[in-house]
Order: sequence, then C-alpha cells, then structure tokens
Amino acid sequence: MVKRNILILLVALCAHAAFAENEADTLYSRFRLEEVEVSARALTKDIIIPQTLKGAELQRLNALSVADALRYFSGVQLKDYGGVGGIKTINVRSMGSQHTAVYYNGVQLGNAQNGQVDLGRFSLDNMEEIQLFNGQKSDIFQSAREFGAAGNVYLTTRKPYFKTGERVHAHAKMRFGSFALANPNVGVDVKLTEGLSFTFDAEYVYSNGKYPFRYRRVLPTGETAYDTTAVRQNGDINAVRTELGLHHYYRTTGFWRLHAYNFWSERGVPGAIVNNVWRNGERLWDRNTFVQGQWQDEWFNRWSTRVLFKYANDFTHYKNYDERLLPSDNQYLQQEVYLSLANKVRIFNWWDASLAYDYQFNTLARENLLLNAAPEHFSRHSHWLSAATAFNIKEYLRLQASVLMTQITNVQSPMSNPKITPGIFVSFRPYPKIDLSLNAFYKQSYRYPTFNDLYYTDLGNADLRPELARQHSVELAYTISNQKSKIKNNVGYEISASASYYYNRVTDKIIAYPKGQQFRWTMLNLGTVKINGVDAKADMSLSLPLQFVLRTRLNYTYQKAIDVTDPNDTYYGHQIPYIPWHSGSVVVSLDWQSKRGDHYGLTYSFIYVGERYCQQENTIYNYVQPWYTHDLSLYGEWQIQRWYLKANLEINNLLGQDYEVIQNYPMPKQNVRCTLAVRY
Amino acid sequence: MHISRKILIPSVLCILYSVLLTACRGDEVIYPTIGTHVTDDAQKGGLYILCEGNMGSNKARLDYMNLESGDYYSNWYGAQNPKQVKEMGDVGNDIQLYGGKLYAVINCSHKLEIMNRKAQHITHIDISNCRYLAFANGKAYVSAYVGSVADPDMLGSVYEVDTASLEITREVKVGHQPDELCVLNNRLYVVNSGGYLTDRYDSTVSVIDLKTFTEIRQIPVGLNPTRIRKDSHNRLWVCCQGNYKDVAPQVVVLQDESVVHRIDMPCANISIYDNTVGILDAENKELKTFSTTDFTPYTLHLTLSTYEHPYGLLLAENRMYVTDAKNYVSSGVLHCYSYINGLELWQAKTGDIPGHLCLVPGAYDLYPDTTKQDTPVVYSPYIKRVYEYLPGMGQFVNELPKYAEGDDAEAMCRKCEAAIANNAGKMISLGGWGGYVTFGFDHAVENKEGRDIQILGNAFYMSGSTEYGSSEPGIVLVSCDDNKNGLPDDTWYELKGCLYDDPQTNHLYQKTYTRAGDTLQNPFHKQPYYPQWIAADEYTLTGALLPPQSVTVSGQNVQRILDFGYVDNKPNTDLEGTSFDISWAVDADGQPVSLSTIDFVRVYNAVAEILETTGELSTEVAGAIDLHCNK
Repeated sequence: MVKRNILILLVALCAHAAFAENEADTLYSRFRLEEVEVSARALTKDIIIPQTLKGAELQRLNALSVADALRYFSGVQLKDYGGVGGIKTINVRSMGSQHTAVYYNGVQLGNAQNGQVDLGRFSLDNMEEIQLFNGQKSDIFQSAREFGAAGNVYLTTRKPYFKTGERVHAHAKMRFGSFALANPNVGVDVKLTEGLSFTFDAEYVYSNGKYPFRYRRVLPTGETAYDTTAVRQNGDINAVRTELGLHHYYRTTGFWRLHAYNFWSERGVPGAIVNNVWRNGERLWDRNTFVQGQWQDEWFNRWSTRVLFKYANDFTHYKNYDERLLPSDNQYLQQEVYLSLANKVRIFNWWDASLAYDYQFNTLARENLLLNAAPEHFSRHSHWLSAATAFNIKEYLRLQASVLMTQITNVQSPMSNPKITPGIFVSFRPYPKIDLSLNAFYKQSYRYPTFNDLYYTDLGNADLRPELARQHSVELAYTISNQKSKIKNNVGYEISASASYYYNRVTDKIIAYPKGQQFRWTMLNLGTVKINGVDAKADMSLSLPLQFVLRTRLNYTYQKAIDVTDPNDTYYGHQIPYIPWHSGSVVVSLDWQSKRGDHYGLTYSFIYVGERYCQQENTIYNYVQPWYTHDLSLYGEWQIQRWYLKANLEINNLLGQDYEVIQNYPMPKQNVRCTLAVRY
Repeated sequence: MHISRKILIPSVLCILYSVLLTACRGDEVIYPTIGTHVTDDAQKGGLYILCEGNMGSNKARLDYMNLESGDYYSNWYGAQNPKQVKEMGDVGNDIQLYGGKLYAVINCSHKLEIMNRKAQHITHIDISNCRYLAFANGKAYVSAYVGSVADPDMLGSVYEVDTASLEITREVKVGHQPDELCVLNNRLYVVNSGGYLTDRYDSTVSVIDLKTFTEIRQIPVGLNPTRIRKDSHNRLWVCCQGNYKDVAPQVVVLQDESVVHRIDMPCANISIYDNTVGILDAENKELKTFSTTDFTPYTLHLTLSTYEHPYGLLLAENRMYVTDAKNYVSSGVLHCYSYINGLELWQAKTGDIPGHLCLVPGAYDLYPDTTKQDTPVVYSPYIKRVYEYLPGMGQFVNELPKYAEGDDAEAMCRKCEAAIANNAGKMISLGGWGGYVTFGFDHAVENKEGRDIQILGNAFYMSGSTEYGSSEPGIVLVSCDDNKNGLPDDTWYELKGCLYDDPQTNHLYQKTYTRAGDTLQNPFHKQPYYPQWIAADEYTLTGALLPPQSVTVSGQNVQRILDFGYVDNKPNTDLEGTSFDISWAVDADGQPVSLSTIDFVRVYNAVAEILETTGELSTEVAGAIDLHCNK
C-alpha cells in the first residue's frame, strides 16, 4: 500500500518526466480520458487542493481569456474594466491583487513597475490548465520565489502528445463575435525526434469594443429619472500573440524545454463614463516578450534538480489624445533576468526536503516624451532562498513546512533587511479508504513595493516597507465516486465537495494617501485589513444512460474584509472596496457522445457577485448593487478520420443585465461568440 | 429544543425572502438627499458646499446648509435635478454666486454648470478642463488648463462667458495651468501655477485687460501660485505653493501690480472678509488671521490638530467655515466657528473632499419627499434670553445696544438678545459702575467639575504682557428659579472672584444716577448717557465696588489683569480666564453655598473709573456659553 502511494506521489511530482516515450500510447489515452473528466479525483492527493480548470472543461466555459475563467473559482474577485481590451486583474481572498502571483509554465510573470498582471491578455486558446493554489503549491520541489506569494495562479500551456507513428499535429481556429470580434488562431506540434518536439501557436485578436451600455435611474417613486443608452468608445484592441516551444524528454526522468512568448497590442483605454464625458482618448501600446527555459532531472531515485531561467523585455507606451486633458506621452521599458536552482532530496520514503535559490534583476526605464528629458532608470536585485520539508506519516498525515528568506534591494534606495516568512501545511486523512481530508495552513507572505510605489513622480515614497499578509486556513474536502460503472457507461458518479474557512490579516498595507497641501498624494504603509471568509465548492459528474454525462460545478464565497486601520476613521470596521460579502457561480453542462464518437454539449453558467461598496466608507453614496450574468454555450465535435472539427456558440449575459464591476466602467450587455475549429 | 413547524417554516421563508431581496438587483434609484439637523445656531441665508469627489468617481456633490434652520442637506443638487444624466459630474472645482445665479466649475466633466440660487439646473457650457471662476460687469471668467485649440507649450486659457446669453464670448491664452483668477479695476489677474510641470512650475500672474481681452503682462510672484483673492484695499493676495522641496510656500500681496508684502507660511486656502484675511496652513494644521490694512497678525487663531487634512475655508460675517477633507477618499467634515472667540459651534458630515463654499441669501428647505432625520432635543450652549438690562450712565449707553425712540426696557432686552444671545457675536455695554444685564439659557446650567460658564467680553492684553491690558471687570451673580416662575426674582449669589476678600473692596456700595447729571459727554460720544428708556428721572444701583485698577505702564493707560473671577478681564481666547465655576457662589454673608444648577446669570460693572483718553471703564458682555451643554 505504501509503495503504491509513493508511486502515485512520484508520478505527481515528476509529471512531465513520466511521459516516457515508450509509454506514449498508454499515456496518450490517459490524457484523452482525463480531458473529458472532472479532474478533482487525482488532486485530492495534494496537501493544498488547488482549484483547477483544464482541458475540455476549460473549453466548455464561456470564457475568452484566463481572467474570464478565473471567475469560476471560489475566493476570487475579478476586477474587470469591461470589453475585450479592458484591464482584468484578480484579487484572491481579499488580500489585494498584488498578493497574487501568476506563473506561466512554472515561471512567475512579473511587473516590477506596478505589480499587476493583466489576465485579460492570456487567451485560453493555447491553455491546457489553470490552477489556483491558496497559500502555495503542494509540491515542495519548487523555485524559491514560489514560496513567496499569498495566492498562486499557475497557467500551463498545451504540451504536445503524439501517438505512435504520429509526427505532426496542427490546429486552426476562427472565432467571431459581437463588437467586431475577430480572433483567428493557428498552431502546430512537430515531433522532431523521439524525445524532442516543437510547438508553435499564434493568435490575433481584434475587437472595436463598441458595445452599447445603458444607464437608467429611477426616482424613489419608481418614475424614470433618466434612461440613456450610449456606445462604448475607444475600447478597441489589436493584439498578436506568438509562442514557440521546444520540449525534450530523455531517459525516464529528465527533460528540458524552452519557451518563447511574444505579445503585442494596441488598445484604447476606454476610461470612466462620467457626467458629460462619453469618450476618452488615451491609447496604450504593449509589447511583452520573454524567453524561458527549464531543465530537470533526477538521480538515484532520490535527488531531483531543476533549473529555470527567464529573460523578459516589456515595453509600454501610453499616450493621451484627449484634447480636453493635458497631453501626456510616457514610455516604459522593463527588463527582467531570472535564475532559479531547486533541489529536492528524498531522505526516506516518507521524508523529502528541498532547498532553492532564486535571483532576479529588474530594471525600469521611464521616459516622458513631452519633456525631452533623459529617461529615468530604476533597478532592483532580488534574492530568494527557501528551505522546505515534507513528511508523510503513513496514509494519515502529511506535513509540510517551508521557510523563505527574501532580500530585495532597490538600487536607488538604501539596503533593506532580509525578511523571513514561514509556512506550515497539514493534511489529515483519517480513513485510508475514504477520500476525506482535513487540511490546514498558516502562511506569511510579503508584497514588496513596486517601482511605481517607490519612485513614481511626486507620489512615490522610497521609504516604503513591504506589506505583510498572514493567512490561516482550514479546509474539509470529501470525494465520493463510483468509477467502475463509468467505464461500463452505466450510471456512475463522482462528487467532490470542500469547504474552507480562512482568517487573513494584511498589515502595513501600501496605499495612496494625500500629503501636505494641495492635491498631492504619496504612498504610505497605512492600513490594516482583517478578512474572514468561507469558500465552498462542489463538483459533480454523473454518467447517465445513452452516453449522456451531466456535470455541475458550484462555488460560493463569503468574505468579510474589513478595514481596521484606525478606530477614528469614518470607515473603521467597514467592508473594503469592491469586496462583496457573497459571490458564487454555478456551471451545469450536459454532454452527449454519439455512437460514432461525435460529441455534443450544452453548458449553462451563472455568476453572481453580491452587493458591495466602491469606496472605503460604506455609505449609501458608495453602495454598488449586485450583478449576475447567465451565459450559455453549445458545442459539437465531429471526427472525420484523423480530423477533428469543432463548432462552438456562446451567448453571454443572456438577459442583458446592465452592470458594472468597477463603478463608471459599464460592462457589455448580451453578446455572442462563435468558434469554428479544426484539429489534425 | 423544539421549534414548531408553524414558526420554523414562515421564519425560514422570511429569511430566504430577505436574502433574495438583497441578493437581487433592483432598479437603480438616484442617490438620496438626506437632511440632518445639526445646530440651533441661527444665521442668515444658506451655504453651499461643493464636494469635489475623486477623479473618475463621478462623485462631485453639492450639499446645502440652511443656516437659518440649522439643517444640513447632503446631495442637495440631486434632489433639485434628479433627471441630470450621471448626476452633477466628476470633480467639482469651484462654486460662486453672481447675479442671482449659481455657477459651478466641474473640472473632469469639462463643464460650467449654471443653476438658479436654489441649485436648479439652467444649462451648462462645455469648457475643457475648467478650473476656477471670477465675475465682473455681467461676465463670468473661467480659467482652464487647456484652450479650445491644444497649445504645443501646454498653455492654458481664460474664457469669458456672457451671463445674460450664457455663451462663451471671448478667449485669451495665459500661462501654464492657470488656477484662480480675480478682477480688479477692469483688469483680470490669473495665477499661472504650472502645477503639472513638476520641477518647472510657473511663477507668474497674468494681467488681462478686459476691454481688449489680451494679456498685458505677467507679474512674477513666487513659485507655483494657485490662489488669488482681492481685499477691500484693492490689494491682491496670492498663495504660492513653492516646489514642495527647497522653495518654501509663501503668501504674496500685490498692490498696483507690484509686490508689497510677503508672509512666509504654507497656504492651502485663503479667505478674506472685511479687514481680515484667513490663511489655512494645512501642513501645520492651523488657521491664522491677519489684518488686510497693515498685515499684522490677529490674535484669532485656530488650532486644527484634530483635522486630517484642512482643505476648504470661508470667512463670513460672525462665522468662519473650515473643512476637513480627511483622507480624500471618504466623507469630509464642515466645521463652523464663531468669529469672536474661535469657538467651534457645530460640524456636519459632507461628501468626499469638501473644497468650495459659497453663501447664498436664500434659506431653503427640501421637497417633502426627502427624509429629514430626527435628532434628539439639543440644547443650545448659548444665551437664550436677556431678562433685564440696566446700564450705569456711560458713554456707550443708548449706543450698545442702540436705543430708538419709543423703546422700553423690554425692547432693550430684545436688542440685547440680538447682540449676545444665540452666539450672535456682538456686544453690549453695561455703562458706568453697577450697570447690569441678566440672562438665561434654554436649560438650567449644571454645576459640574471645573468651570461651568464662559462669559465673553472684549478684554485684551497689552503687547508683550499678560499682567496688564484692557480689563473692565464685572462681577457675576447667579440664581436658581426657586419659585419656578421663570423670572429672575430669586436669591442672588455672588461668584467669589480674587478680589472678594481684598480689604479695599466695598461690598455695600451704591450709586444713584440722575437724568439731570447727564452732562459729562466726551467729544466721541455725544448722545445722552442716561438710559433713555427709563421713565424715572433717577435710579440707584447697589453692589460691590472693586479698588481702582488703572495704572500707567510704559506711558500707556492700562489696567491690571485680575487673576480670576471677573467678566471682561481676560481675552476671550483664554477659555479658563473667561470662565466661571458655580462652586464659587457665596451668600450675602460671604458663606459658600452649594448650587447644583442655576437658571439666571447677572453681570454688573464693578469698577467706577473714568480715564481721560478712553472714558469710563465699563464691562462689555459679548455672549455666554454653557461649557457642559450636551456633554
């Protein structure tokens, strides 16, 4: 029993290595199977159970970008400024978006300038899996930096799989939709040698962003006060994404891969809709380029080593064409060099330990093109050193502890002291035969001030301390299934449910605060937030007769996130801005497989975000109503020899609710998307 | 525990219903207007408070305070104009009344909002990035950070708007980021801040000839000027913010277009009323006042240490209004102070960033459909009634308050009330020795720990001294309405001052004033000194006479400042020195008496001295405050 467990663990830990070439056939079929299944089953082996969307389930959702998909996770609040081009960031468990790290194929996406990663930028077309880990990833074999964030989103792109005799896979996709959305995507996977493969994926997105929106207000008597419909302006986007990947698996344990990513976009910044202002004139150009590599191997069945590197070069140009405002024309160039070395050793079969060191160098060049002044340069060196250990006591108890030392030195500021943050994770499974587990963790993490926080003209404050988040979380998870009958295509089921309670406290929160006289701001470590929350989720899949499969996914989040900075503040004890007390989602899908193997499916999804306030003070003048959307999606997939054809129709915001996620940024009413795809 | 189904099911349904009710989205109702009674301090007219709101939040909010009823209305504009699409707008930057219309500059809504006095929308004029207002000769002048044609050097403009046709008539280009402006002698003066050009701030005032509407010249004043106001001496007061680094902020005074005076102090806001200029120092959190005549500082000075960010300022007759913008992203507070002694009278919660204040003559109430929140009975800490007023003969008798033909004693009491009740902030004179006034509050004053009542006068220290100054001591008597007839006809007790036990104090003094003896008029006060409302030809006053107080110090005729226990002896800013403890009460034999509350207060002039230069010493009373009221 113990041996089998370790085997499973091994497979989980070295998932990539496990795809050994001679096993390609069986693994491929395993992949195919997994693709259509709810993935919760395998994941209860994790000490921290991530929320996962992958494969077909991901494709079934009414989602264009990673940001859209993350709305279906519990504990997550999405900030969405509307439209295809609007900035989208997430806030996990109310700690603030900058406490969430986003990893692209295992390497963190950085933005040393403002600490924000626009998740609307990442399309789902090349995505295989999205995972959200509260606290940190279960696996102690990770880079040092991964121990550093409070919430972690892992994005994993498509990996190539080849059946025996296959050398090339290709796909092409065309998506059309409302607001002149045109979104073609092509990709190819080539097997160069038995272990070496190559992938390419490219995508273009265009939308004019001209969606109608409506503001209607009534008098207390019910009489209409005003009712105005207008079209969103300056919300267009033009974006091109290209990615290249090179994967090499060798022996049964080692592999390396290289990944190159380039994203270019030009978009309008639609801006706030306020009285007498129905269009804005700011434009934004982005270019994000990175190359990253990973090498990993294992020796003596005990010692694993992983090396990561990355070079990123991000350019942003922001220009204001609105003649009613003072002109502005700013350019930013960020560069990042990152190196990571991680080692894990299996001391005994029940005891693992790991040690990792990461180094990163960031630079920012900021140039105001109107002033004809020399660009300003900022840079920082970051070092992370982590040690972690994991114990398994029989099947009952798993324990992990990690400690991270972070030293971030801004070249333009005095040397700062290293910070040490611990994390401890426990999973208890009382009955080996029952998939019931009680998981708990405590973790500290720092959010470091960004270049903008520190050095933004007139606003920055070079003396800022990092912001500290302390998380306490307990979770009860339970999975029950009747898998055998699924294989026989009779009535079978799998239900997994979990509920977590957490208490977080964020101190030394970095906020903008007015200083001295006139309308001037500065960044200060001023703010304490206390968060009590409950996340509950339940996934169910039910195999019905006649090849029908019914799946549901329920999520509910309760959060009480209150400002406890100073009892003299008028907003002391009030819910922090844009955090609803209640939010949740429901996804129901019904799939049917015909006798000749064609698939058809219908998915309904409902997202609910409850009442909340748009400013610190919970007064009626800052109250924001709940919003909720109903979405439908319909797809069919047909196989003709080795060609797969797929058609998908999505209708979003079916009832055309006029809502805003962020006040004065109206969201689209009903809209449709239609996708045609072919895969070889 | 057993809960019957009969109860359980309806209650579960009830909870479910209420959850669903808040869970669902209803019609978006316009923002409400909420009225709150904040004070009984009755003044004339109304006050508009323009709250800026943060950029992009569309939360510019116009609040209104009815100064006569003491009701504060948040979101007054919303109630007057519920059909304005997207409400008042984004970032309210200035508000002024001119020619019966109210003009508001809404910066990020790029408009000049024009309303009637009641804030009912008339029209708006599109002006990009508009900032501040000035008026003259039927024209409104609006500064703007951008002109109608974008300027390559980022120069701003001033627009002229005809207030009859409500159309833009002319435009003139000025300096970088023009802010406040004002009109003097047919010329328009505009400060060029350059506020958006960090490290390259502008430092000039543009002078525009209103006939030709062209810029004549630029006057250098100081780095980063943001405010400009004129005083009654045709001078211009300019606030320069400096560069927030090595160049300190200062206030610069211009006369005939050249600098005549500078005051080195931070100046977040400035307001001028009559001959007083108030300068708000937001860094050190204080309000300082100066004379506009000779620039000397006045003693009136407010410490605003409880403020988070002092922001808006308005000096008016009798009252000063100062706002606290807090952290700029939550509601602020409007504070009202008495002009006489700087005491805070009331405060009201405002919208976000209360920045701009504008008085209007009208006192309005809202439609019946707005909610006015009931507040518990609030007693006024100020004098409610004057029962008796009988001055000794003296140079200010029949003047303070002014006697009119036909006035009787009752009419004179009402005139005294107009001067000193409800914190009106004016003054009455008790005339020669023995003259008195009797007043009461709308409640009994409690005798608590420490001093109980502050009584205001017009004493002041001589320069550089707290030992000598202008002191015209009056003795305080208190009384309880023992017979419950509401009249001050009960036993009086003296509040024992520091000279009570002085052997030179004559406790059994009396003096008779006769109409025939009214012949001592001095050249400055030639009216009769005998109270004209008294029918009798003579009257006698009794009481205590204090020893002479006048001395000559450094060649000046001054008085000794007494330690404690006398009205009009120490400056009003000295709270303790002008306050009295009911526990000091003694009976006619000098024995202490214990009074838990008192209903009436009498003050009489306790000195009989006539000085050559300034006439007789006569106690002046300028109001009284129950220090425990509502606490």
